[in-house]
Amino acid sequence: MDTITRRQFLKATGAGALGAAATSLTFEDIANAAITRPLPLNTPILVVVTLYGGNDGLNTVVPARDPLYRSLRPGIAYSESEVLPLSEGLFLNGSMTGLHSLWNKNQVAIVRGVGYPNSDRSHFTSMAIWQSGLLGAAKTGWLGRWVETQPQDPLLAISLGSVLPPLLAGTKRSGSVLPLGGLKVPTGSLASDCIKLSIESKSDNLLQSMAAQSMRDLFTVSGDITPILKAPAPTAPDLPTAIGGNAGGDTNLTQQLDIVAKLVAAGSPTRVWSVSLGGFDTHANEKGAQSILLGVVSQGISKFMSQMRNTNRGNDVVVLVYSEFGRRVKANASEGTDHGTSGPVFVLGSRIKGGLYGEQPSLSNLKNDDLAVTTDFRDIYATLLEKVLSTPAERILGNWKGRTPLFN
Amino acid sequence: MASVAERRRIARLVHRFGFGPKPGEFATLVSQGFDAAANKYLISPSSDAFADSQPEPLVSDQGPRPAPNSSAVVTYATEKRAQLSSLTLWWLDRMVLSEHSLRERMTWFWHGHWATSYQKVDDALPMFLQNLTLRAFSLGNFKTMSQAMVNDGALIFWLDGQTNTIKAPNENLSRELMELFILGVNRYTESDVRETAKALTGYRVNKTSGAVTFLPRQHFSGTINFLGTSGSFDGNSLCEYLVSRNDCALFISERMWYRFISSTNLFQDQGLTQSFAQRDISKLVQALGRHPALDDPANSMVKSPIDWFISVCRALEITPSKFSNTALLRRYLDNLGQVPFFPPNVGGWPADQAWLSSSSAQYRIQFATALLKEANLNLISATPAAQRIAALADLLGIAAWSQRTELALKGAIKDPQRLTLLAICSPEYVVSA
Repeated sequence: MDTITRRQFLKATGAGALGAAATSLTFEDIANAAITRPLPLNTPILVVVTLYGGNDGLNTVVPARDPLYRSLRPGIAYSESEVLPLSEGLFLNGSMTGLHSLWNKNQVAIVRGVGYPNSDRSHFTSMAIWQSGLLGAAKTGWLGRWVETQPQDPLLAISLGSVLPPLLAGTKRSGSVLPLGGLKVPTGSLASDCIKLSIESKSDNLLQSMAAQSMRDLFTVSGDITPILKAPAPTAPDLPTAIGGNAGGDTNLTQQLDIVAKLVAAGSPTRVWSVSLGGFDTHANEKGAQSILLGVVSQGISKFMSQMRNTNRGNDVVVLVYSEFGRRVKANASEGTDHGTSGPVFVLGSRIKGGLYGEQPSLSNLKNDDLAVTTDFRDIYATLLEKVLSTPAERILGNWKGRTPLFN
Repeated sequence: MASVAERRRIARLVHRFGFGPKPGEFATLVSQGFDAAANKYLISPSSDAFADSQPEPLVSDQGPRPAPNSSAVVTYATEKRAQLSSLTLWWLDRMVLSEHSLRERMTWFWHGHWATSYQKVDDALPMFLQNLTLRAFSLGNFKTMSQAMVNDGALIFWLDGQTNTIKAPNENLSRELMELFILGVNRYTESDVRETAKALTGYRVNKTSGAVTFLPRQHFSGTINFLGTSGSFDGNSLCEYLVSRNDCALFISERMWYRFISSTNLFQDQGLTQSFAQRDISKLVQALGRHPALDDPANSMVKSPIDWFISVCRALEITPSKFSNTALLRRYLDNLGQVPFFPPNVGGWPADQAWLSSSSAQYRIQFATALLKEANLNLISATPAAQRIAALADLLGIAAWSQRTELALKGAIKDPQRLTLLAICSPEYVVSA
């Protein structure tokens, strides 16, 4: 049996691109890139928000009127007065007021019951599937493969944070990483020494040439981006990660989205942004912890969308929010929930046709106590690839036919 | 003169089964040859003069957190930070200064395997006790280790074992026990997860002391059915059964291969699992260290931030606890994404490409700049300029420099500090080639 874990998943390789990358980039060329070649207006931009740990979908999009919902998880169920009305008897978690007002403007699509066949309850296997966009032991991410269909550009796909998520890993090229607060690049003679050290060498093995490449990218990516980030990044809110915090993800979503907003507004030639929030592995005392986290997601995204509306990119941005699985319907004894199957996916933007998509998994027809999968996640990816990234889904997802008609 | 291949094999041994050479060590090992080096590196002596003389870190049971806004809470929080700092520096010092580094290397490996984070445990004492357990069993029997871990307060608390009851089992611990600790993913069914959770009921943890009490009346003593067996199980007998399965030998061999040989060229050698037949970790370590794959140029690995930092400290005689600003030290490690006692999730730290982002490159250069201010550079300064590049290869345990790096180093040949900074940031040092 394949033992694909996140650790294995993270190790995509990079030989072919390195030779190509080494040829032409100079510091001066790139320093002006954001100014000289800004992303053309009306180019769609995808912002991917990964919720690590397995977000409890039933307490996010809440069937508050369903008596089974209340009886299966009495300690952690929400009553109708605590949640925000959507439609078809569903409600949004009460902390998600920002997203709710976007819902009222028809800018939020909620796809229900999203997952894949034979749900796997391992954080690592399931996240690997979601991030690769393929079932089985894929070594690349769906957006990493997309990067490889595009002309080489280290600014094309950027993840906020210090470690490359599998999502952006390609076979020959991957997306870039931008730490919070921007990069502080060496200057003066240290810079010229480091640039010498970052030249590709014929005797480099694969990982050594990637190490050299990462130092070269430091000068390319940062040369473009650092001037844009003049203001210091806002400090991160101190989020509760003590409960449900053992399944990965970053803790400062608002800060990450703030930086994305600045860079998008400045015209960074970036088509894909990746941000994340951890802490959703709520095996214990779920209600308070999850609601705080969902509040951060909602507030961060609605603030981001309103920042975008004040720029000329307001119509270009589409936001995808997903997690590796939903959680068990029944609560456990610790007022939490264990790993489950399907969950809702959010897609937002002014080009999105707001509303509910897919079928709400029935609580009276559980499979092994778990929710059914009613929409395959690849339907959404395929739609986003075509409508946002203008790329035939077949090139990334193989022969996948399903689509979700999310766009106006 | 030893061949580059021989130097590489010894360099891999020293960097992967230890934390890199101390001054003079690499040249000596090279002159003695790989077999002698393997005999020295792969067998841990029963005592370690440095480690045995070290005082324990200043950690103690702080009891519950005082009420918010009370005067006691300030003292409590200050003490809490001091305890975490003491614990972290204690371990970093051991990694740098212990006379034989295999035991610390293995303790570090097991910390990433049974990955438990202070983030949730939030008390230094249970983390310290877990660290002692990991060290005590780091080269011992894996069954005994697993049984100790399933009774470890920090691990149980981390995976919600203390809230796992008969009425509504919490599956977090039982799942990870099989998936990440003993068998490997998909070597069990969902039903096995639910059943074995029952065997892990009845364990209560005192959060601040890490003490674990087994409460027989709260333990499910009925029959459970899993993985082709049935009966009444508790944590110890559950571990015994899981560890006895062939999948355990396969999984632990895979995990050690992944961390010591290659994360890209996956484990193929079923014969290696034979060396783990008795679940003797030390035997598996010896088999891995002498495996021909360690000689294969394709099996390069990126040094994780801790690997890189500790090996710099060893070569340049830097003691972490004596760092002029230890809070800054922790921040550098945090920026690079790896702080002891804070694995990012229950799966442990990533490997290889994940450490090669442009942001890591930036932080590595900053960190190296700070480290060089604390370094003992006498050895390089005393070497004539023309021989410094070769001397650095021996000092740092590098098989051979590339033309690219030689050229870059030549430009700084007169400035030992800059020269060494470039050497420790070079692809040859960042990657265990």
